[in-house]
Amino acid sequence: MRPVRFVSPLLAAVLLSAAMPARAEEAVAIPRFVEETASSGIDTVYEGEWEFMVGGGAAVFDCDGDRKADVLVAGGEGPAAFYRNASAVGGALRFERQQSGLEVSGVSGAYPLDIDGDGIQDVVLLRVGENLAMRGLGECRFERANEAWGFDGGDAWSTAFAALWERGWAFPTLAVGNYIDREQDAFPWGSCTDNWLHRPAGVVTRSFAPPLPLTPSYCALSILFTDWNRSGTPDLRVSNDREYYKGGQEQLWRVVPGQAPELYGPSDGWKPLRIWGMGIASHDLDLDGYPEYFLTSMADNKLQTLSDPGADGGPLPVFEDIAFSLGVTAHRPYIGETVKPSTAWHAQFEDVNNDGRADLFIGKGNVAKMPDFAADDPNNLLLQRADGTFLEAGDTAGIASTAIGRGGALADFNLDGRLDMLVVNRWSTAQVWRNAESGPGRWLQLELRQPGANRDAIGAWIEVRTGDRVQRREVTVGGGHASGQAGWRHVGLGEARSAEVRVLWPDGEAGDWQRLDADGFFIIERGRSAVAWSPG
Amino acid sequence: MAWLGRIGVPFFAVVLALLASVPGAQASDRSAVEPIRNWYRLTLELVRHTPTYSPPVASRALAYLGISAFESLASGDPRLKTLAGQLNELDALPAREAGLHAEAVIVQAAMAEVIRDLFANTGPTGQRAIAAFERKLRAEATAGLAADVVDRSEAHGQAIAAHILAWSRTDGGAVIENMGFPATYQPRDVPDAWVPTSLVAQQQAPLLPGWGSNRTFAMPHGAACGIAPPPAYGEAPDSAFYREAAEVHRAVLDLTPEQRLIARFWADDPMLSPTPPGHWIAIALQALREEGADAARFAETLALIGIGMADAFIGCWDAKFKYDLVRPITYIRRVIDPAWEPILNTPPFPEYPSGHSTQSGAAATVLTGLFGDDHAFEDTTHVDDGLPVRSYGSFWDAAHEAGMSRLFGGIHFRSAIDRGLEQGRCIGAFVNALQTRR
Repeated sequence: MRPVRFVSPLLAAVLLSAAMPARAEEAVAIPRFVEETASSGIDTVYEGEWEFMVGGGAAVFDCDGDRKADVLVAGGEGPAAFYRNASAVGGALRFERQQSGLEVSGVSGAYPLDIDGDGIQDVVLLRVGENLAMRGLGECRFERANEAWGFDGGDAWSTAFAALWERGWAFPTLAVGNYIDREQDAFPWGSCTDNWLHRPAGVVTRSFAPPLPLTPSYCALSILFTDWNRSGTPDLRVSNDREYYKGGQEQLWRVVPGQAPELYGPSDGWKPLRIWGMGIASHDLDLDGYPEYFLTSMADNKLQTLSDPGADGGPLPVFEDIAFSLGVTAHRPYIGETVKPSTAWHAQFEDVNNDGRADLFIGKGNVAKMPDFAADDPNNLLLQRADGTFLEAGDTAGIASTAIGRGGALADFNLDGRLDMLVVNRWSTAQVWRNAESGPGRWLQLELRQPGANRDAIGAWIEVRTGDRVQRREVTVGGGHASGQAGWRHVGLGEARSAEVRVLWPDGEAGDWQRLDADGFFIIERGRSAVAWSPG
Repeated sequence: MAWLGRIGVPFFAVVLALLASVPGAQASDRSAVEPIRNWYRLTLELVRHTPTYSPPVASRALAYLGISAFESLASGDPRLKTLAGQLNELDALPAREAGLHAEAVIVQAAMAEVIRDLFANTGPTGQRAIAAFERKLRAEATAGLAADVVDRSEAHGQAIAAHILAWSRTDGGAVIENMGFPATYQPRDVPDAWVPTSLVAQQQAPLLPGWGSNRTFAMPHGAACGIAPPPAYGEAPDSAFYREAAEVHRAVLDLTPEQRLIARFWADDPMLSPTPPGHWIAIALQALREEGADAARFAETLALIGIGMADAFIGCWDAKFKYDLVRPITYIRRVIDPAWEPILNTPPFPEYPSGHSTQSGAAATVLTGLFGDDHAFEDTTHVDDGLPVRSYGSFWDAAHEAGMSRLFGGIHFRSAIDRGLEQGRCIGAFVNALQTRR
């Protein structure tokens, strides 16, 4: 379902702010994060040399039925590590390492996804080597399912993942982004290997066909299925590392069920953009119904918003960069004295202070020991102001780690309604922070359910209305940097004591608006009233 | 291995190498061509993938690399005349010890040392590639040679490199911070002044504002080829400045497919290409290969064109910050057409003169001096990036097209191109006055 009108208030705000003598300084609630790495039980290091200079992700999902997010951390050359979430509700973050079947080496990233629709999360492990589709067995046990599902894991340097259910199909479509040919160590430039599209073998078949190469491929480090134009059919956004491609650029593939994917090009309005693309985060920041896209890179990062409403066919894939105007270039460390540029990886929009506006987390860290880039490169926490601009609060919020960050996640690990933080680091232990914010911000956390194969409603849109504001979240699997999540979808409400919520299900059907009380967890099953759920 | 191209060291070549290194030998060793070609192939990639390597920085590195190769050979080839005493503040280079030397080993060792130093800041992939190239090229160059010859030759190559690197550190361009952008910059508050044109935060200050003060190589100083001022600033439609801006405005709106291709072909963006100086190095390498040039000719050519382009960037930057002129995108949007979009990214520094024009003029002057006025060639530089081969009747044909590409791209006015090419010709003349042959 397409929004009824196309406006670009964010772009208008940008233009307006550019003309204003000074940015409005408004009060922003700065959350307080407390690092609890040492006591959390998480102790995994993303290890390895050249072949693990990218990647370093985590999968965050519940696999034991308590609806608390468990964690899998990629280990690079070392084995991945699984941690069961043992945190008390509202208490300190605590995880218990346990055997899960996911403890394989060579893992660069991980994404949870209920591939077979049995209600148990499965996990796709991206690897330097063969990718693995791991079937969830319950109680956080997993087994290899490549053969059972016809999943060809290949033998590549895999670095990105996205998934969706193409309309009418009983099995998901998986997209895997691949990096350079790791055999070409003396001259790797121009050796980007093909990305793969794993489509189901048939409409009702519950296995995959041989992967379709997404040629040309340009060393993807993040990919995301997203309905950028609200056509009802998500396309595939690919962010590529210009370090290695020749003749490449950022990409958007038109993915129509039953048809070969096609690249959007100049005739569609697509403009070339060439960056060190490393991560994608998306969110409808300006509440116009269309997502904005944050693309991480080295030095300046990009924030794109649609700028051409098009005609009757809907908006064109023409994006304007508004990072500079909104204060999210995040191009340089905000602490220390260095003027050297930053290196950005994972990015995620979430409302960390529950003020009703999405904020932006960026994981930062030098590629290795590149002397021209900041060695002490703190992660960013950019809080959105009411005027749409952002305030850097990484240091004041307490998350300004200068470890060499890569992937990560914002998730409510202790189910207190406030989003905590996990960051995977290269060559040092992954870190966790508990969100100890005590401000007045209210929130909702929602879990979607629908019958059929796409049980978690990947591709749905959640709308949350408070007064005349409607926040929208697209339910996606993919993006970030090598890191995926499943489970609760968090929405901050500000001071609102309740909100109206509805779901636009993946097939376009709109659910009914339902009023839900703030500060609660709700399971929304298609065709039914939302059901409150309480932890503990 | 394909990545090294055709490498082979036939036995007779080894013999020639040994003979050539005897004091008084009359011929350079052809086998030294391979380390030169291969190190340059890698260098063009390192330029592309090392974030500090903006075009001025690239030109500097390419100059030192070429001089290293040349001096490595000049120290044993009686036909060649050292550039020491000819280039500013370059003192006499280390002499060879008594005993046999192998030219390919000397060149290989010197270039490896220089590349390791100049690209010490490249990323992990570049570091791996440098190490892999050195292993391979060293093995090829030293195959079948006596250990004392290898040791003596490598020591000499390393001494040459050390001398040149020590010289390089005092030129004013050795340290690049924040990719060349000052942390702060206050544009002049007048309508003709350059102002930032990019939404990249890092580029709110201009690139390398002090580069024009660097020590030059062959010309006396950065202002030695100064140029006349641009047309007086004006916004009246009958002013010369307005007319030049209107020409750029109209040109971009009316681009033919050929003009659009020309703009793309010479865009040579940092991080996405070997940059403009790398583009001309690629042209020179191709000319040398087609000529079947020997190692001395390779080294001589690459040293001279490298010097010419490095001096061109110093001279150009001296003028850019002297005149500090507004870019077309700023003026045209302010005065003529608020919605106007150039097809190229506007570089983050003042407009006048055009850097690509100055350095292309210098490169064409140097290559014309070496290969002649009517050296026709096909430019294959960007084939790997999907751009077509382009043909030129001469190096100056290419330089003129490179200059005009900036107008088609919407990033330069005509005066910046014309004066830039003239400036490059002047700078190239200093290079052509150098003596490389006895």
